[in-house]
Amino acid sequence: MSGRRYRRTATGALLLAPPCAAALIGPFVTDSPIPSEGMPYARGDGHVLGTDALGRDVLALVLRGGASALGVACAAVALAFVVGAAIGLTAAASRSRWLDDLLMRPVELLLPLPSLLVISVVGVGWRGHPVAVALAVAALNVPAVARLLRAAAMDAAGGPVAEAMRLQGESAARVLIGHVGRAVLPVAAADAGTRLGSAVFTVAAANFLGLGLDPTSPDWGVVIAASREALFVQPWAVCAPALMLVMFTVGVNLLADGLLPRGDGRGETTRGKEQAWNR
Amino acid sequence: MLRYALRRGGWTVVQLAVLSVVVFLLTDLLPGDAATVDFNEQAGLDQVAQLREQMGLDRPAAERFADWAHGLLTGDLGTSLVGGGPVSGVLARSVTATAALAAVTLLLLVPLAVVIGLVTGLRAGSRTDRVVSAVTLTLTSVPDFVLALLLVALFSLRLGWLPSTWVGADDLWWQRPELFVLPVAVLLARTVCVLSRQIRAGTLTSLNAGYTVQARRLGVPPVRLVLRHLLPNAAVPGVQELARTGDHLLGGVLVVEAVFAVPGTATALVEAVQNRDVPTVQALTLTLAAVACLLNLAADLVSRRLAPRTEVLR
Repeated sequence: MSGRRYRRTATGALLLAPPCAAALIGPFVTDSPIPSEGMPYARGDGHVLGTDALGRDVLALVLRGGASALGVACAAVALAFVVGAAIGLTAAASRSRWLDDLLMRPVELLLPLPSLLVISVVGVGWRGHPVAVALAVAALNVPAVARLLRAAAMDAAGGPVAEAMRLQGESAARVLIGHVGRAVLPVAAADAGTRLGSAVFTVAAANFLGLGLDPTSPDWGVVIAASREALFVQPWAVCAPALMLVMFTVGVNLLADGLLPRGDGRGETTRGKEQAWNR
Repeated sequence: MLRYALRRGGWTVVQLAVLSVVVFLLTDLLPGDAATVDFNEQAGLDQVAQLREQMGLDRPAAERFADWAHGLLTGDLGTSLVGGGPVSGVLARSVTATAALAAVTLLLLVPLAVVIGLVTGLRAGSRTDRVVSAVTLTLTSVPDFVLALLLVALFSLRLGWLPSTWVGADDLWWQRPELFVLPVAVLLARTVCVLSRQIRAGTLTSLNAGYTVQARRLGVPPVRLVLRHLLPNAAVPGVQELARTGDHLLGGVLVVEAVFAVPGTATALVEAVQNRDVPTVQALTLTLAAVACLLNLAADLVSRRLAPRTEVLR
C-alpha cells in the first residue's frame, strides 16, 4: 500500500469515526424522546449547538438521529449484497446457459423500474416504516449488485484455478465460496462503499421529503428539513446533521477507493481498470 | 450489427411488457384506494362501496389489468380518478417541465464531463488530477437536498440574484431562463462528478491498452490518437452511465422538484400516489420506465457502435 493510498484510507476512517460514533453510542447517552425544554432556535444558552424549532437540543438530536439515518441504509445495502451475491455468483458459476439466463433475465427486467415509484409507494403506503424503506432500498439495489458480481465472478469462475480445483474433485460449493467468492471480494467491498453512500442519500432524501419517518423524529434528514427555514437564525440545526451525512459519505467513498485492488503492481497507472467496475 | 439491434430491440419489448405487469401489481399493492382517500372519515361504508363501484375498483385485478392493457395498446391512458380529466393531459403537463430541465442539464453535462474526464485521465496522478478528483469526490458526497438548501440560501435569500421557487411561474416557466439556473446547478453537481469519473477511468484503461501503445509507436499524432482511438473506447462506460443519468434526470429529480416547487413528473407522481389516483400513477411510472428502457437500448447500441468488440460473453 503506497503512501498516498494509506493516507486516503486513514482520512476515510477518520471522517467515518464521528458519524459512526454518534450512531452507535448516541442512543445510549440521550433520552428517548428528546425533551423540548429550551427556547425555539436558541443559540448558546446551555446548548452547545443551540436548539431546533421545538426547543430540542441539537447536539442530542444529532446523537440520536444517526442510528436511523445510517442503520436503515446499512441494513438495506447488506441485504442487497446477500441477495445480489447469491444470484450473481450462482449465475456466474453455473455451467449451463439456461440457469444463467433464468437467474439474470428477471433481474435485468427490474433494472429500469423507477426508484422513485418504489420509494414513494413505500413511503406513502406504509407511512415510511423503517423496515419497509430498508426493504425498498435493498430491492432497488439487488439488480445492479447481481450484475456487477456476476461480471466480476465470470473471470474467476472460468479461470485456470477454478478449473484445477474442479479437476481435483473439490465440491462446487468450495470452488464457489472458497475461490470465486474470495476473488470478487475487493470489487464487492469497493462497490458496497459507494452503494452505501447513495443508500444513505436515498434514505435521507426520503425522510427530508416527508416520505419517511414522522416530522418530529430525530433522524438527520428530518431535522434538516424541519429547520431549513431557520438556516440563518440557527445554522447549526441544519449544518450539524448535514455535516454528519457528508462526513459519512466522503469517508465511505475514500475507504472504498482505498479498498480497490490496484492489480498487477503498475501502481497509479492501472487505477482506471478497476474503477470501471465501480458503479 | 443489425441482428444485434433487432435482438436488443425485441428484448426491450419483452422488458416493457413485464414492466407493465410489475407497475400494475405495485400500484395494486398500495393500501387503500381512491374511494377511501376521497371521502376520508365523513363517508359511510356503503357510500365508499358505491363510489368504488363507480370507479370500477371492485372488479378482480386480472379483469382491470386486461382493460388497462387494452387501453394502453390503443393509446388510451384512462381518466384520472381525482381530477376527472384524461391522464394524458396530466402526463403532458408534468413531462414538459421535467424534460426541459433534463434537456438543459444534459446539454451542459456532456461537454463538461468529457472535458474534465479526459483532462484528468490523460494527466492521471498530476496535481490537476488530484485537485479535480478531490473536488469531484467531495461533491458526489454532498446530498443534493443539502446542496439545494445551501444554494438557495446563498443566491436567493442572501444575495437575491436568482428566484428560489417556480411557484407563481405557472405555465410561463419556459419564458424565464433564470428559473433554471439553481435547479440545473444542483442536478449538474452530482452528475458531472459521476460521469467525469467514469470517463477518467475509461481514458486510463484505454491509455494503457495495447492498441494505444501500438498507435503511438506507429507515430499517430497525439490529437488524432486521443480523438480517434482513445475517446471512443473511453466513452463506452460513460455512455452507459449517461443512460442511467438520463433515466435519473427524468424520474429521480424528486428532491430538486420538491425544493424548487417545479411542476414536474416527480411532484405529479407523489401527489397521485397520495391520492391513490391509480391510472395517473400507472401512466406516469410506465412512461418513465419506457423512457429508461429506450435510453438503455440507445446506450447499448451506441456502445456497440463505438467499440464493436464488446460481444456478449458466453
